[in-house]
Amino acid sequence: MNVPSRQPSIAAKLTWMNVLVSGIALILVYVSYLAYNVYSFRNSAIESLSAEARILGANSVSAIVFDDKASAEATLSALRYSSEVVDAEIYTQAGTLFAQYPASGPVPPPPHPMPEMPGPAHWANGADVVVGSRIGFQGKQICTVYVHAHLEGMKQQAVEFAVIAGGILLLCLGVALLVGSSFRRILAQPIVSLAQTARMVSRYRDYSLRFASERSFDELASLTDAFNEMLGEIQQRDRALEQAKVDLELRVEERTAELQAANRELEAFSYTVAHDMRAPLQTISNVCYLILEADRGPSSEEEKHMVLQLRASVVAMSSMIDDLLDLSLSTSAPLRSTRLNLSSIAGSILQGLAEANPERKVKTVIQKQCYANADSGLMQIVLQNLLRNAWKFTSKSEEAQIEFGCTKRGADTVFYVRDNGAGFDQSLAGRLFKPFQRLHAASEFPGTGIGLATVQRIIRRHGGEVWAEGEIDKGATFYFTVDSPRS
Amino acid sequence: MSCGLVLLLLFPKFCNAQNSTQFTTHDVEAAYLYNFAKFVQWPDDKSTSSQQFSICLLGDDEFGRKLDELIADETLQGRKIVARRLSSASAAESCQIVFIGQSEEARLSKHLAALTMKPVLTVSALPQFLEHGGTIQFLFQNNRVRFAVNLASAQQAGLTLSSELLKVAVFVEGTAGKESKQ
Repeated sequence: MNVPSRQPSIAAKLTWMNVLVSGIALILVYVSYLAYNVYSFRNSAIESLSAEARILGANSVSAIVFDDKASAEATLSALRYSSEVVDAEIYTQAGTLFAQYPASGPVPPPPHPMPEMPGPAHWANGADVVVGSRIGFQGKQICTVYVHAHLEGMKQQAVEFAVIAGGILLLCLGVALLVGSSFRRILAQPIVSLAQTARMVSRYRDYSLRFASERSFDELASLTDAFNEMLGEIQQRDRALEQAKVDLELRVEERTAELQAANRELEAFSYTVAHDMRAPLQTISNVCYLILEADRGPSSEEEKHMVLQLRASVVAMSSMIDDLLDLSLSTSAPLRSTRLNLSSIAGSILQGLAEANPERKVKTVIQKQCYANADSGLMQIVLQNLLRNAWKFTSKSEEAQIEFGCTKRGADTVFYVRDNGAGFDQSLAGRLFKPFQRLHAASEFPGTGIGLATVQRIIRRHGGEVWAEGEIDKGATFYFTVDSPRS
Repeated sequence: MSCGLVLLLLFPKFCNAQNSTQFTTHDVEAAYLYNFAKFVQWPDDKSTSSQQFSICLLGDDEFGRKLDELIADETLQGRKIVARRLSSASAAESCQIVFIGQSEEARLSKHLAALTMKPVLTVSALPQFLEHGGTIQFLFQNNRVRFAVNLASAQQAGLTLSSELLKVAVFVEGTAGKESKQ
């Protein structure tokens, strides 16, 4: 795993910083030292030239005093041992040229005027330096000596110094690089491997990794310690979380098992109750039939009415038992999905309802070819409940109409049963599917309040959903989907 | 000779006064007499005894008032320089420099004998002056006033001549192995 190469790494930055800082420092030192050197070289050159001028002057005093130009020029000729001196002149106090070096040289340009102040003076122009010195003898100024030198050595020294300093500069840069790389080991390497560890941790989510650092006591060490502590903390929390998850799942499983057991017992109980209640009811129904159909018959109209009422109650109770059995079945019966034509099932149910109530005139609209993968018996219960409800709640409508159909909603097929009956208050739609909750009085529309709860259970077992839209006196529409298995 | 570099150099006032005048050989010699004093050291006892520095002339005065003008107000190591005209060499003992004029050629030996062993710098333009025991002799070379030195005489007189002076002398006698210069 390498450091991303777009940005230079910390190590490279450190090295470059080192090189840059030491390089700049060295260049500054070189430049200032060179400047100082040139300055001091020129100064010392000027000083020695001044001394030479004074010596020459002192040695020329007698020549001047006794008007001996040859002697003065002999004195000046000693300058040939000074390689940098170009020419020299002795001027009298009146300003006339007395002697010059080289003796047979060209006539020199007019001399620089000496300043008022006593002492030597100099004029510099690049490497050309002229030094002037007044010469006195026994308290009298007698002449002025000028020495003109070309300080070739100054340039040469500057060049030599530049070469030496350049070499030192390169050497120092090399040393800076070496120092930089050792700093890289000491300083940057721990950071780089820390970053690597951090990357490994975040890539593999492995919080058990630790960054192993050499023992040191700087900020870096405390950083790695903090990093390791953080990892430890995360690891600990991870473990705790894992443990909590396991505990929770175990508890959920336990509770689920308990609930399932309780549910099964309850269903078995209600099934037994419902089933066992059928036999006495059948007996009562049979007795009613016998009373009504016997040759003697009920003794009075009142008696007949009572028996009829009894029989109606038995029928109601029987249907309630049927519904309860359905509800019980809806959760306990195993699912066997097959391809069903819901349209034909709806058609036969409506036909049955029409035959049972020939006095009612209901218009039925059934969309053909509505297929679903579902359990045949359970879907029979669903459609029976929905269509019977529609049949029941349209009983007071003038031109009753019941519709069955299916539409596409995305990938799902939505089936619906629509009627133009009593409808319901949409705001109370949530209560529709709760068992034993009724929106209408039993006197108005008879019912057990179990049917829609059964429908919802069956649809949910199929992985679908059911919902209703309605408006009072304008009818209701019940929609459901069946999440058919894709295979 | 032109307005002497030397004269101009040393005595600007002198030059100014005689603006663009040609100087005679005597004028230059007068200046040299004065200049010699600066390159010669006299024995101490002599110098302390007198507050004056005397340049004395023996014989006819060849310089006239030029010499007086030259040395007017001039001092040498704090001592006033005076010019004295002498009639006999015996009076010259208190002088520091004695110039022996052309008129004294016949009496030269007598004068020098009188001054021998005395701390006096003897100067003359007379030929054979050095051979007779004089110390500095004026010469005339290349249209210029030059001079020669007899170092032995100077030593006899107890005088020390500066090497600077010897440097500009035409020749120096009285030194072993070095008879002349230039």
